[in-house]
Amino acid sequence: MLDFSILTENWDMYIEGFINTIYISVIGLIGSFVFGTILAVFRIAPFKPLNWIGTIYVEFFRNIPLLIIAFFLFTALPTIGIQLDGFKAGTLALIIYTSAFIAEAVRAGILSVPKGQTEAARSSGLTYIQTMNLVVLPQAIKIVIPPLGNQFINLVKNSSILTILAAGDLMYQADLISTRTFVTFDVYIFVALFYLVLTIPLSTGVNYLEKRLAKSN
Amino acid sequence: MIEFKNVNKYYGDFQVLKDINLTINKGEVVVIIGPSGSGKSTLLRCMNRLETISDGSLTINGVELHDKKTDINKLRRKIGMVFQHFYLYPHKTVLENIMLAPVKALGQSKEEAKKTALAYLEKVGIPEKADAYPSQLSGGQQQRVAIARGLAMHPEIMLFDEPTSALDPEMIGEVLDVMKHLAKEGMTMVVVTHEMGFAKEVADRIIFVDKGQILEDANPTTFYQEPKEERAKLFLSRILNH
Repeated sequence: MLDFSILTENWDMYIEGFINTIYISVIGLIGSFVFGTILAVFRIAPFKPLNWIGTIYVEFFRNIPLLIIAFFLFTALPTIGIQLDGFKAGTLALIIYTSAFIAEAVRAGILSVPKGQTEAARSSGLTYIQTMNLVVLPQAIKIVIPPLGNQFINLVKNSSILTILAAGDLMYQADLISTRTFVTFDVYIFVALFYLVLTIPLSTGVNYLEKRLAKSN
Repeated sequence: MIEFKNVNKYYGDFQVLKDINLTINKGEVVVIIGPSGSGKSTLLRCMNRLETISDGSLTINGVELHDKKTDINKLRRKIGMVFQHFYLYPHKTVLENIMLAPVKALGQSKEEAKKTALAYLEKVGIPEKADAYPSQLSGGQQQRVAIARGLAMHPEIMLFDEPTSALDPEMIGEVLDVMKHLAKEGMTMVVVTHEMGFAKEVADRIIFVDKGQILEDANPTTFYQEPKEERAKLFLSRILNH
């Protein structure tokens, strides 16, 4: 049977980690969505150098472990005078990593919008950027929501590896509690529940959005 | 107004347009016909640079369309385009579809753009659909909205790329009526179509294109009664005798 005293006695520590994980996730979510979308537009822009930058970025960062990016930011940046704490370095690493995946999802969404939509908008005198923002991206987003939802859920779960940078996240707090109490099983079961509290509403929300947007067509 | 001089266009080794020389004057209604794959849509799409040309010169009001220095967005505001598959923006209402370019490309105020949009919806006969989404409209209605969307920019030229080819037969009439009305008001129009009745009734000139070349350029009466080219005769006999 689970020892609930672990939860009650370390409640403040759990909550601190929970709140930090929420911070990391929300910043990571917004950051990687914005950055990933910009990268996706880079990859399909009618300008070769931008395509290259986008492609190189995506292929590089989605093919190396998140842990390495996080370590790099935490240990290598100080040598050029940029000092980031675990929280900042970790969140940045998460954004850099996740945006590579989001770029691919958004790119696929953009490509699935009929070319005629772009032609109609461009032939009415709208610029490329206006066409993207006003016509193509709003339609692409509907197609992109399911894969994007998966990426966001992954992001929340991936934030757990920031524990290695002492980012103060849920997993890190759990490690602390575990070292202090010499209990492992119960501590991590409770931490899993905290993650579920975050991810289940997220996936429910994504399902809801998906249904609602499908209706509006 | 629109002037092609020795225009060629290649897709790799394939030559889509061969030595096109064509002048379209203000107020003219020019219908382009020809078999599928003949290059007639490409010819039309060059006129607002949806397609580029490989060489030659193409000017609109004296401005070289394919010059890198030409502000293509500015030029396109003067040229409305209507597509075979309408391409209304599905996430926007009819009104928003029509208002988008006037507000964003011309910088009109929303009130002004709305007034214009409603006026043109009235003109194409569906003012009651202002707040509907494109998916709630029939094909004919969607195409009429697309025409209103083009007109709301107060263009000098309207291009039509097979505007009735994707429509149910019973909806073709309502779209052609709008176009005829527009022609009578003196709009400069270039229309790629298979609607021979429309061509006969409103065209000032008919251009017959085959294999990327302009084979005939004549007024409708001459074209239908005594086409010069064998290829045009064959084409006419096929589409008129069924």
